[in-house]
Parts: sequence; structure tokens; C-alpha cells
Amino acid sequence: MEKIVTMQEKDMQKVTSTQRVVKVLVQIAVYGFLGIMALVTLFPFYWMIISSLKSLEEYRLPNPTFIPKQWMFTNYIKAFNTANLGSLFVNTMFVGIISTVLSLVITVLAAFAFARLEFKGKNLLFAGLLATMMIPGEMFTITNYQTVVQFGWLNKFVVLVVPFLVSVFYIYLLRQNFLQIPNELYLAAKVDGTSDLKYLWKVMIPLALPTLISITILKMMGSWNSYMWPRLVANDAAHSMITNGLRNAFTTTTGDVDIPVQMAAVALVSAPLFLVFIFFRKYIMKGVSRSGIKG
Amino acid sequence: MKVVLENLTKIFPSRNKKSDEQVVAVNNFNFEIPDGKLIGLLGPSGCGKSTTLYMISGLQAPSGGKILFGDEDVTDLSPEHRGVGLVFQNYALYPHMTVKQNILFPLENLKGEDAMSKAERLERAYQAAKLVQIDELMERKPSELSGGQQQRVAIARALVKMPRVLLLDEPLSNLDARLRLQTREEIRRIQRETKITTVFVTHDQEEAMSISDMIVVMKLGVVQQIGAPQDVYDNPVNLFVAKFLGTPPINVFEGKVVGEKLHIGAQAVLDVPGVADQEVFVGIRPEGFILDSNGPLTLNLNSVEVMGRDVSVVSWHTDALVPAIRSIIDADNKIDRDSETINFKLKPHKVFLFNKETEERIVVER
Amino acid sequence: MVNSKHKWKAWLYLSPAIILLLIFTVWPIINTVQLAFMENYDIMQALGGKKFTLGFGNFVSVLQYDGFLQMLGTTVLLCVITVPVSTMLALLIAVCLNSIKFLNRFLQTIFFLPYVTNSIAIGMVFAAMFNIIGNVPGLDSSLVSWGIFNDLLGVFGIKPINWINMGSGYWENIFVMVVYIVWNALPFKILILLGALQSVNKQYYDAAKVDGTSRARTFWRITVPLLSPMITYVVITGFIGGFKEYSSIVGIFGDTMGPPGNPGQLQTMVGFIYDSIKKNQGKASAAAIILFAIILVVTLINLKVSKKNTHY
Repeated sequence: MEKIVTMQEKDMQKVTSTQRVVKVLVQIAVYGFLGIMALVTLFPFYWMIISSLKSLEEYRLPNPTFIPKQWMFTNYIKAFNTANLGSLFVNTMFVGIISTVLSLVITVLAAFAFARLEFKGKNLLFAGLLATMMIPGEMFTITNYQTVVQFGWLNKFVVLVVPFLVSVFYIYLLRQNFLQIPNELYLAAKVDGTSDLKYLWKVMIPLALPTLISITILKMMGSWNSYMWPRLVANDAAHSMITNGLRNAFTTTTGDVDIPVQMAAVALVSAPLFLVFIFFRKYIMKGVSRSGIKG
Repeated sequence: MKVVLENLTKIFPSRNKKSDEQVVAVNNFNFEIPDGKLIGLLGPSGCGKSTTLYMISGLQAPSGGKILFGDEDVTDLSPEHRGVGLVFQNYALYPHMTVKQNILFPLENLKGEDAMSKAERLERAYQAAKLVQIDELMERKPSELSGGQQQRVAIARALVKMPRVLLLDEPLSNLDARLRLQTREEIRRIQRETKITTVFVTHDQEEAMSISDMIVVMKLGVVQQIGAPQDVYDNPVNLFVAKFLGTPPINVFEGKVVGEKLHIGAQAVLDVPGVADQEVFVGIRPEGFILDSNGPLTLNLNSVEVMGRDVSVVSWHTDALVPAIRSIIDADNKIDRDSETINFKLKPHKVFLFNKETEERIVVER
Repeated sequence: MVNSKHKWKAWLYLSPAIILLLIFTVWPIINTVQLAFMENYDIMQALGGKKFTLGFGNFVSVLQYDGFLQMLGTTVLLCVITVPVSTMLALLIAVCLNSIKFLNRFLQTIFFLPYVTNSIAIGMVFAAMFNIIGNVPGLDSSLVSWGIFNDLLGVFGIKPINWINMGSGYWENIFVMVVYIVWNALPFKILILLGALQSVNKQYYDAAKVDGTSRARTFWRITVPLLSPMITYVVITGFIGGFKEYSSIVGIFGDTMGPPGNPGQLQTMVGFIYDSIKKNQGKASAAAIILFAIILVVTLINLKVSKKNTHY
């Protein structure tokens, strides 16, 4: 009897020790896999920065260097001047800020109406708006091109701002957030004689601030990354957006081109995005996790 | 400020669009709330008590009837012009504002001649906070407060603009049992000190009975009975009111009146002078039983629960409409627990007869 | 709840959104469908008041276009490869991330990084990684860079391949696009799947552990079925995005949509639509409707398949 018990105990010990080994091995495999994937993810950024600081001769070396022998910061000045990044930056920020502010106002008002006010046909209208989200944007672009031509908006800033001011997705996002605010707060404010707009400003906007910040950042990023629409309707240098300017300054990406300068330009264009990401990581990830829509 | 409700009615259109059925939430409510009293609106959920409260506040417009504050007809007045303070069931405190900002908020909305200077507003806010004893917590956010403290803040916010009428929607339902006892005394005290006419809604009869000057019992939008809590308890007008008030609840039997004698089963249990022969419902309050081995009512003994001061006898009877009959008797009584049956004499004023069709009270001449 | 006496207010608040949507969303839907069926549409003549006969001419000319099959093929190919690859990788990474504590937040941030990029700009970085310098005649052969990717292959003894330069082949180009698109698509999928994983009730896993369920079995029988709605979501959005692939190709190859000397080798449906917008709106509309139809069908198939495989 005693013997059997000790045998079992021994078995148990064996099992737990093998379990421990398996657990450690799994942990090593998990961290190994994640580490490799993280390197793969980061490598292009590393390569961009390293290459942007090399001289063209060093970049052309058959055996690549992983740290520049000579740090060529002048590449950045050259890139800035070649692509005229200064005026592109101003243009893009101008369009981005104006369209973000207007878009926020429109979105907040519409979301408030959908979340808090009662009117006939509300649900039908909302469902109709959501349905338009399923249609690919290309279907709108064709007619919108015609429309802005007729409005005489080609090569004016207005063409980069107005057509995309309303995003059904943002209205939806904010409405959902507004709905989470208990209706009693609205009734309490009513009893105290608060007007709709004051309630919106004093209560709903502060409470929905995280969502509004998410929308702001996504909208700004959208302006920064927009390429197709500006290429179609605003081609002149005076209204060029940063992505188009970058692409037009470096039309060739293959063959014997000045890659260090290209990489410097790319790094300059990417830098604001990374800065925003560092400071607003939480809001971006929260906004994106509820969407899937880039920009 | 007295509050008068005249033929107050609220009809909601049916949710289901296909049917024309309407929901009558409040039906022809008439009541004059005396100045400076604490009134409890009492009833099961869906009885229209909250709708009544919201109509008094102005958040919902009545489908018919009138509401008067004093002599002023306020039926068509919007909430902010009525001068009411409303405390919500979940308090509805603005989560991003401190206690102080919450209490100040209603004052900041005052315009024109009612507008106050900042110093005045602060003074009023601190007065209100002191009244509900939260003046130490003014810089905290609602999330940093306990349920009871949040409740006090909500009351302070409602009181700060010195409303003509204070309305409370299920003020105690979100508190735990101990806080509930404490807070209801608190509400009573605040109401006595401010002398503001106060209406509160509850589904808890004990809560309503304990602090109200008057209670209004409602069922399916219709007022059943209005009166001082003890009067309503002692003289329920119908079976619903009798059943709704009192813990443990009233014991209901099927009975028969033959020759001015009330019969339960085969036993004649009580003289009921002036009542014609008929079948009836019999309601007997738990405290209406007197232990007496020669008593006329024989019940089948289940168990005896000792509660200290009192003893609760649980028994059953084939004609009882409740699964367990509870009788509360003095602990000095000696009960033979092994006996299969137990005999009681009844206190006549604790026994109520109800018409079997209408469930209305049948008055017994005494 | 509240009897709003000012119903017009709601419409006032909605009016900016509704007006803009009517002009730039609702009207385009109607008009694009109209345009697609107008024969020989021309915007100048249309402005002059000319009426056009209706017919299927635009659709016929899109379908008969020489490059149509190739661009449809490229679009489908990119979808069919990148969506499963990126979804599987994202799922693996998400499950691994969910199982660790140390460095969790740090790694999450790293994996999300490619999302906050400009796809044209980073496309140029990928181009640089695959680019060979030195195939230009007359260049000093000691100054040849095969590109970092070829250098990496060299470590494994693989000879340099012409990925994107002049004369590069279709499949080499596709390979580069797949690498870039998967890299770009991972962050969103990881974020969504990780969020879904974190909301799964831990008790399921405790129960499985008590029953002695193996890791693999737990993954396939508990994790995947519980995540199936989110996996479906990620796959569908992946396919929709894949069918609209355009700017990542522009990033690597430029507006020519192909390596030097062979423009249009990687033309896609959306690229075709954009190229046609200024020249022939009727044809562009017809192509857009064909694209919409394909996306709709693929989405419906996805939903149907996932419904069969959703276990609860």
C-alpha cells in the first residue's frame, strides 16, 4: 500500500517537472517568434533611417553597411529642397486642420441629433447612412470629379476639403459614444434649464472627448496620407499635398537613383505620423480597433 | 407650495405599429398634495408612478388633465420654468465634474433677473452641501464617492436652486439595506428642515410607509387609495391594496358568509354583522391571530420560527390562497410544536372581507 | 423620452451632414449607375445638353479591354495570397501576445507601427530594399548593390533576383507586392484579433485546462471558434481592401503600375478606374460597378462560409 502511494507521488513529480520544462520551452518559442516578427516589422523603418544617412557611394557598396560610415545629414536638406517639402507641409496642414475642424462640427451635431433628439424617420435615415458605408469609394469618385469640375473647384483648396467632410463612420462612432451617456443626464439638464447646445458643449463633448480625439487624429492622418483624390483634382504645385509632392519629386524608384535622398524625404514625411503616434497611441489604437478604415 | 393634479392622464402610443392598442400609463389621476408634505407614490413596476413624477417635473407632457403649483397652471410649462428639483434613480451626476461643479451647474443656467454672482452661487452651493452633509467632499469626482454620498450630492443639486417641488425617483433603490434605512431618515430630516413639498416614487411599501406623510397606492395607471400610511394599512379599500401593504404580507383565504357568520372551510370563524350571504375573499393580517386552543380557526401547523420578540407560525389550509400562512404572535405564548394542527381566535379589526368579483372591500358593521 | 417641441432643431443639426451627403454620396450613387449605361458618354457634350442612348456598351468595352483579364487576375491573386497569409500570421501573433505579460505593451506598440505610415512613402522604402543598383550599363561593377533583400538571400546561398528593376518578371513583382501588403495589413488584423481575444472569458481556458486539453486542441476548438466572428470580419475587410489595391503598388512602382519598360504590368481594377476618370467616365463607371459586384459576391460568399463554420 505504502509503495503504491510513493510510486504515484514520484509519477506526479515527474509530470510536474516535464510540465515545467514544456512551459519554459513554449515561452521561449513564443518570445522567439514574437521577436523575429518584431524585427521584420521594424526592419523597413531601420533601413529607411540608415539609408537616409549614407552617402550614395556608401549605399552602392556591394556589401551593405548597417551603420553609416559617414553621417550625411545633408541628405535631409537636399531632400527637403528637392521635394519642396516646406510648402507641401504647409498646404497639407492647412487642408488637414480646416477639414478636421469642420468635420468635427458636422459630426458632433449630426451624432447629437441621432443620439438624443426624437424626430420622424430617425432610424430609417440612420440605417440609410450606414448602408452607404458598404459602397466602395471609387463609385463616388467618378461623379464627384464631374461635380467639382462643374463647380469650377479644380486646383482650389476647397476641392480638397469639402467633398470628404462628412464621414458616416465618424457619425456612427460618436453616436454610439453619445448613447452610452445615460439619458438621465440629459433629463437632469433639462430640468435645470440647460439648452441643448449648452448640454452638448458642457456635458456630452467632455464625456466623449476620447472619441473626438480619435476622430481628429484619424482625420488628420487621412489628409496626410491622401493621394488619389488630390492627384485627380489638384495637380498644380500651389495646392499639392505632401504625398503627391513626394511621389512626383521621385518618380523613379528603381535603378540607379539617389536612394539616400529618397529615404531622407520618406523619413521627413513619416516623422509627423510617428510623433503623433507616440503621443496619441491610445486614441489611435482605440479608434482603429472600432473601425478598419484608414484615414 | 401645494400641488394639484386634475384628471391627469397619460396615454402612450403602442410600440407595435401594427396594432392600435394604446397603453394608458396614468388614468384620470386627481389629487391635491398639501403644502410642505412628503408624499410617497407607491405601486408595482408599470403602475404609472414614475410617469406621474415625470409629468409633474415637466419632462413628459400629459395627454389630458392639468397640473397646478399653488394656483398657477404649469401644465404647458417646460421643466426649467417650473422650479422643480428632480433626483434620478441612478443620480445622473455628471461624471466629469466635481461635486461642487455638479451642484453649481443648475445655478449657472439661471438667466436674466434670476442670475447670480459667482460668490452668491458658491454660497448657495455650500449651503445645500451642508444641508446634506457633503461639504467636505466638494472637490471629489462622483466616481470617488460611495452610493450614499452620490445620493446626497444628487439631492443637493436638486435643492440648490430652491425648487418649489422636490421630486425623487426611487431614491433608495440603488443603496444597500443598511444605507437605505439611514438615507430614508436623512430624506425625512431634509424635507422637514426645508419644508419643500416632496414627492417620491417607490415600489417598496416599507420605505413609503416609514417616512411619508401620505401615500398614494397605484395599480396599472389607476389610483387605488390615498391616505396616511397607517390609515391605508388599517383600512385598505380593496384586495390589491391589502396585499401590497405590510410585511409579512396579508394571508388570503377563500371564505363564505352565511347568516352573518364568516366561514373558512367548514368552520365559522368570526361574526360579521350586516354582511349578506355570499362568497368572499378573506384577508387576515399576520398580527390578527390570537393563540387559543379553543379558537374557531384550525390550521395545519408547518413550523414555528422564533424571531426574538415575536414568534412566526407557518401553517397551511386548503382554502388559503397563499402557500404559507404566517401568523405573528407574542413569544410568551407556548406552542406545542409536535402538534399537527394549531387553533386561533381572530382580531376582528385585522380581518378584511372582499367581494369575490370586484375585490372591493365589504364593510362590516361594528 | 422627452417631448421635444422643437423637432425642426434636429433637422437643423443634421442639415450640414445631409446636404453634403446628398451632393457627394447619394447623387454619385445614382449618377454613376446612370453613366455606366450611357453609350459614348462625354462630359462636354453632356454639359451642352446632349442626351445619350442607354446600353451595355461601356461594360462590353471594359470586358473586351485587352488588359482586363490580367488586371482582374492580378487583383484576385493579390487578395487570395495576402488575405490568408496575413490573417494566419496576425492570429498567431495575437495569440502569442495574449499569452505573455513581460514586454506585452512594448511589442503591441511595435506591431502596430506599420499602421501609422504613409503607404506611398513606405512603398518607396520597400522598393529600395528590393532595388538593384548596377544594372545600368557603364556603371563601375565594384559599385553594385543588389539590395538588402538579395543580400539576405545571399546568406542562404541564393543568387540575386531581379525583383522590380527593368525587365523584372510578373511573379517577382507579385512577390514583392505580397511582402509589402502583408507587412502593411498585419497591424490592423493583430489589433482587432487581440482585442477579441482579450474579451474572451478566461473561464473557458480554465475549464479546458482542468480537462487536460492540449494547447493545439485549445487553440482549434476554443480560441478559433470563439474568435470566428472577428476572423470573418478581418477576412472580409481584407478582401474588400485587397480588391481595391492601388496605392501600395504606386508606392513601389510609381504611377506607371509596373517596372520600368513594362508599364501596367501590375495594373489593378482601381488603377484602371482612376486612369479612366478623366478620359471616359462611362467606362470608369462600368468598371466601378463591376468591382462593386465582385466585392459584393465575395463578401456574401465569405459570410456564407463563415456562417457554416461559426459554432455558436
